[in-house]
Amino acid sequence: MDRILIVEDDVETAQAVAGIVRDLGCAPVVCGTLAEGIATATGEFRVIVLDRMLPGGDGVSAIAGLRSAGATALILVLSALGRAANRVEGLEKGADDYLPKPFEPDELRARLRALLRRGTMQGFDNDLLVFGELELRLKARTLHVKREHVPLSPKEFELITYLARNAGQVVTRMQLLENVWNLHFDPQTNVVDVHVGRLRRKLEQAGSAAIQTARGEGYVFAPLGPEQAAS
Amino acid sequence: MTGVWQARVTWRLAAVMALAVMALSLGAMGLQYRLIENRLMAQARALLAADLDGFATLYDQRRIIALREAIEYRAAAASGGEMLVLADRSGVVLAGTRGDWPVLETSGDGFAVDGAVRFADGGQDWLGVSRVLPGGFPLLVARSLQPVTDTLADLRRGIVGLGIALLGAGAAVGGLAARGVMRRIGRINALADRVAAGDLDARLPGPRRRDEFGLLEGHVHAMLDRIQALNRATHRLSDTIAHELRTPLNRMMQKLGRIEGQEVAQELRADMRAAVRVFDALLDISRAEADQGTGGLVPVDLSAVTSGVWGLYEPLAEDRGLICQAEIAPGAWVLGDGNLIAQMLSNLLDNAIKYCAPGDQVRLTLADAGDRHLLRLADTGPGLPPEMAGEAFERFVRADRDRAKPGHGLGLALVRAIAARHGARLDVPEVEKGFVLQIGWPKLRV
Repeated sequence: MDRILIVEDDVETAQAVAGIVRDLGCAPVVCGTLAEGIATATGEFRVIVLDRMLPGGDGVSAIAGLRSAGATALILVLSALGRAANRVEGLEKGADDYLPKPFEPDELRARLRALLRRGTMQGFDNDLLVFGELELRLKARTLHVKREHVPLSPKEFELITYLARNAGQVVTRMQLLENVWNLHFDPQTNVVDVHVGRLRRKLEQAGSAAIQTARGEGYVFAPLGPEQAAS
Repeated sequence: MTGVWQARVTWRLAAVMALAVMALSLGAMGLQYRLIENRLMAQARALLAADLDGFATLYDQRRIIALREAIEYRAAAASGGEMLVLADRSGVVLAGTRGDWPVLETSGDGFAVDGAVRFADGGQDWLGVSRVLPGGFPLLVARSLQPVTDTLADLRRGIVGLGIALLGAGAAVGGLAARGVMRRIGRINALADRVAAGDLDARLPGPRRRDEFGLLEGHVHAMLDRIQALNRATHRLSDTIAHELRTPLNRMMQKLGRIEGQEVAQELRADMRAAVRVFDALLDISRAEADQGTGGLVPVDLSAVTSGVWGLYEPLAEDRGLICQAEIAPGAWVLGDGNLIAQMLSNLLDNAIKYCAPGDQVRLTLADAGDRHLLRLADTGPGLPPEMAGEAFERFVRADRDRAKPGHGLGLALVRAIAARHGARLDVPEVEKGFVLQIGWPKLRV
């Protein structure tokens, strides 16, 4: 069973995160202080969920130390320091993802899933992604549905690529904004919905219902039907 | 830049002082020169008067004969310092230090020294009288002014030399003084530049002298300490606020997560997100206002950021029935924080879309405007209500007519703070219809 390390001093939050980790079929290990977390981190973990304002210091400042100590796990910073500047700082200092508190359980779940998946998909530089009748060529930046070329704008192509890489899983609007547009703040309007809507209409016109709205928080790319999405 | 101007003022002061000292000394020396010249001329005149007195005595005794003998005797022992000529009625020279009559016209008679004139002859200046004695004998008695002119020439040379020396000394002393002043002002200026560039820790090393500059340095340091303390407090406060508010909000959010399928839970989440957005915006504003200088800023492609945010919002604006147009000149680089700039543009476009009605136009341009990159966002929406024209950029200011629209009145305050953080000029030109906002970004100097 994959293990996920949770370094978090707020008991309530730690419990909530541990619950989500169990939902994902992983085993949580909880540490309450930074020193304890660093000592434990060298063990075999897939992901480390790291708080920032911990007894003993700032989790983000400790990332470099964790890495040099040999920790290979992907790091998700989960912090009350949630302004755009804090997020960018965290990512620049080596975090693999950064989620501000208060977070919604679905959001953390989606992000942990994406990180777990990233850990398994090492050789992802293959040019062609095929999902049944849907073909995505990364180098040529083309999309074909049922052998028909679907013209996409550059952003739409990046959008479908990100969705395809997380196929079958819920991808939140915030994840799309961060990974496709590289923006780390929360716009007041749901601008992302319009883009996904346009892409979805293009796919539907070509005869694919690959993009579906997920209950609550985002979208699922499920080109092979709902059974695949559930798996 | 300021250093050059500072140097000019100090150098100018030193030059003015050196020139003033030299002018005063030259004035004093000129006065002395005049005095000496008068004294020497009086002496020459007295000698001439003595000569004339002697000749008058001889003339009284034996008339022309005595004069002729005396002049012949004197001419034989001529030193070159005197000119004596006696001629007869027809102009033939009877006796003299020379064989011809010089240029000088005769005037009057007698042996009085009054009416002595200065004339040039043989490359020298002379002071003399030329008279016609009874019986038509012209007589010329003159003394060379060469010793006087020589002395005066020496004096002039001395004055010129001294003047140059004074100028040199004045310039040297002034220059040294100016350099001393400049060095100490320069230290303080360099400190101010470092602080302006964002290094709030910068201080002048070494002990402070107990003089005006020392006092100034002390004042500057005290001011910097205070600014730094305030800045630290702002930073600490924003982290503390974030932690102390977000942690309980997070607990609520986790508990909400356990309530499944109730619409009210979803609404509560949205409300919490809105609350977080308000204090994030407040913290962003105070951070942008507290951060100074170029610390933390990097070269950013303003064109790319603008295109990116425009690309994000354009479909939404189109869906809302707005007519969109963008002209973004490529390659506009600024020193900035790309994320803050994106946030600012996002706020502006969000506003434009929120307030405009279908059919309105939204136009974004980024163009070169001399020393700045000019970003202009114009819409034909309702514009700012006149009553909030002056305070639209203040925190929590919203027009009464917009109460029904979502928002917290922090968007434009954040826009202003981010513009100030980048040293960009914010401008709201008056237009007939709609809202126009111009931001002049300082260009990145390569």
